[in-house]
Amino acid sequence: MEFVAISLLNGISFGMVLFLLTIGLSITLGLMGTLNLAHGALFMVAAFVGWTASVKLGLNYPLAVLLGGIAAGLVGLAIERGLLRHLYKQLNEQVVVTIGCIYIITNLSLWVWGGAGRTPFTGFTGSFPIGGMMYPAHRVATIGIGLILFFAIRWLLEKTRLGAIVRAGMDDKETTIGLGINLGRVTYLAFFLGCFVAGIAGVIGAQMLGANLAMGWSILLLALIVLVVGGAGSIQGALLGSMVIGTINAFGIALVPDFARFFMYVVMIIILMVKPTGLLARKA
Amino acid sequence: MGAANLKSFKPPRQGDVIRFAPYIVIGVILIILPLFLPSHLEYLMARVFIFAIFAMSLNLIWGYTGLFTLGHAAFFGVGGYASSILVMRYGIESFWLVAPAGILMAALVAAVFGYIALRVSGLYFLMVTFALGELLVSLAQVDVWRDITGGTFGLRGIPPPNLGIPGFTWNGISWYYFILLAFAICYFLLHRIANSPFGHVIQGIREGEPRMRALGYNTWRYKYIAFIIGGLFAGVAGVLFAPFMMLIGPRHFGIVTSAEGLLYVIIGGAGTLFGPVIGAAVIIGMKYGVSMYTPERWPLILGAMFVIVVMFLRGGIYPHLVNLWRKARLRYSYGSTKD
Amino acid sequence: MEALRIEGLSKDFGGVQALKDVSFAVQVGERLAIIGPNGAGKTTLFNLLNGQEKPTAGQIYLFGQEITTMPTHRRANLGQGRSFQSTSLFPNLTVRDNALLAVQGTKPSGFQLFRPFTAYKYLFTKAQELLGAMALWESRDDLARALGYGEQRRLEVTLSLASESKLLLLDEPSSGLTAAESTDIVTMIHNLGPDVAVVIVAHDMDLVFGLAGRIMVLHYGEVIADGTPEEIQADSRVKEIYMGIEEETGNARAS
Repeated sequence: MEFVAISLLNGISFGMVLFLLTIGLSITLGLMGTLNLAHGALFMVAAFVGWTASVKLGLNYPLAVLLGGIAAGLVGLAIERGLLRHLYKQLNEQVVVTIGCIYIITNLSLWVWGGAGRTPFTGFTGSFPIGGMMYPAHRVATIGIGLILFFAIRWLLEKTRLGAIVRAGMDDKETTIGLGINLGRVTYLAFFLGCFVAGIAGVIGAQMLGANLAMGWSILLLALIVLVVGGAGSIQGALLGSMVIGTINAFGIALVPDFARFFMYVVMIIILMVKPTGLLARKA
Repeated sequence: MGAANLKSFKPPRQGDVIRFAPYIVIGVILIILPLFLPSHLEYLMARVFIFAIFAMSLNLIWGYTGLFTLGHAAFFGVGGYASSILVMRYGIESFWLVAPAGILMAALVAAVFGYIALRVSGLYFLMVTFALGELLVSLAQVDVWRDITGGTFGLRGIPPPNLGIPGFTWNGISWYYFILLAFAICYFLLHRIANSPFGHVIQGIREGEPRMRALGYNTWRYKYIAFIIGGLFAGVAGVLFAPFMMLIGPRHFGIVTSAEGLLYVIIGGAGTLFGPVIGAAVIIGMKYGVSMYTPERWPLILGAMFVIVVMFLRGGIYPHLVNLWRKARLRYSYGSTKD
Repeated sequence: MEALRIEGLSKDFGGVQALKDVSFAVQVGERLAIIGPNGAGKTTLFNLLNGQEKPTAGQIYLFGQEITTMPTHRRANLGQGRSFQSTSLFPNLTVRDNALLAVQGTKPSGFQLFRPFTAYKYLFTKAQELLGAMALWESRDDLARALGYGEQRRLEVTLSLASESKLLLLDEPSSGLTAAESTDIVTMIHNLGPDVAVVIVAHDMDLVFGLAGRIMVLHYGEVIADGTPEEIQADSRVKEIYMGIEEETGNARAS
């Protein structure tokens, strides 16, 4: 029973990291029709920046998280302004270009930080007692942060004017612009926020995953699976998808470590065969 | 991405020998080349031909049919792994047995993956093909059956193909001609396919699938067949690759290999048969050159190539070459090129 | 025998009722024009007939066979052809290749992998006839995307003629064309045999009255009038709708 509880919590906390990573991808996809495959690389850069800030420079943890987020946001913005901006609606071209960015970012990171992975680091030490055993505080904190951000972003999307603009832009871009709304600025803000949150995910995720150069691809793949399972364009979909994937991953690692990933793929394939648009896809 | 200008269909006429001139010239050059090349360049050329086959197979699915896939290397890996496992774990030595087996396996996996992936299109197709390739990567790394697959390190020390020819030795020259022959056969077959009715139908599907359906074509079936054929030829490349490099690993199923294939096709020119060959030659040549000076920075340069080719070099190199050739022909051939 | 029969056809787009309980039949060789204001459901109707959309309710019969949920390509092989309102050509292929693909659609040679396309002489002959009849033979080596708009629309209609369909669905075939070009289309339709049923969606009243033996008026997804051109011209409800439009736009024709 304890085993189930721990695995569940592991799955949820890891899922929260995935959720934060995937939101940016999902919103950008829905809002701008842009697929930024380098999103995973942003996660990776943030993890390294967070490490440098927290472990090397000894800054306090929340600051390290913030710096990671900003780093990811800036790199993402650079990719958008420099490249993606010119490739509106050209999905294949976006994919190729952002794959190139993954190579570039990863190699530059290699240059700056060297090839060795960084071990997990965190600002939340200690454990919580849960039903007779001790559960790491940082994972609990992750779940907390994830939930807070989920509700915050949902509030932003559904209760503010900004959010209404974003939703309108996702449903019908032409009409929104036609109504005189400055969709462009809002779009860039949303894009930056998406990358920023992915960066936060990177630093927070580093406490479970550490930081290493292979992350750019591996975490991207997980985000894509979350999108397929949960459906693109909706926050709830991203959350549901990440919870599903996170949990499968956690139980998989605990029970059949070799095949943890395999089961994720199987779930993805099943969803594809049964409901290709994902469990909670946004209907335009 | 847009397809290059495809030659309009004209029935062959007399005096059309000039059309075959490029093939003859290039063919002769390729055949006598080893006489002038040092051994390591022969190996390099062989490597180019292997990946040219890979790139051409991807081109059939992407450039011709319009299916943008991020998981094409899966079939490359299957070909390499299957044939090598048969040799190294099951003691089946003859190349003429393990190669067809490997190719067949690749086609089978393509049939399964294609069935799954073609349920969706566009963005989702992309994500699914990516994930399916990575699925094989993760399966190849599984510890439990490490004895067969070699686990995370893959298979090493794969012996060269056993052709059953007495007195045959494997060196730069024999590899060069062996791979060149395989390449020529693949090129010929793909050329037939591209110029067949099927080859035209899949281009029609790329250009306008709803219209094709309204005209009576069962477009799903065509896409599926094209996907399987592409997977089959990727398997051929894999079957050649594994004994040539004497190793194959989990990453040969994955996105890194698939993405390079994409780059070969883009740089060369999608939707033309020869373009990807040029693309493979350019990239592999560059990698060889760069690796002599700054091997650590090669991924940076590779990444930059991805970016440059999209932002500045749309359409690829090959179409430009074709245009030059056409202009030359117009000047020298007698009569008009139009009917 | 009926070429086409529709019973109780409805299409609901999650709140927007595009078609409400539409029923009618088209006889072999009949020429029917469907008119109505924008948004009346005309293209939706065609999409349902064609198989690009599935109806929420109702049945469709093609030459007596039920095709309500049949995939598009099978309908084409049963004799249904379609042209599209937004030009649906193969932009990066030559005009000739466009025609060749269209001609081959209902033939089995498509799956042939190893014989060259050029071996199928009858395809080339047929394509040549088709392009010649529509004055497109001169442009046969041009890429479809390089054609002018009028030529593209001509090619669009040409492609839908290639399969020798017995039920032809033409969606705004003359939209954007000059008067001369429209007349060409009319002539082309006249020249189709007496065994070809044609259903046209159009705004161009000259085209409609010049061609159709029967006119159907759609409004907000419902059939509000169905009869001979004279009957339609005299119908008061039709006049109301079009007078309403005329007052708004100050134009007698909505094209």
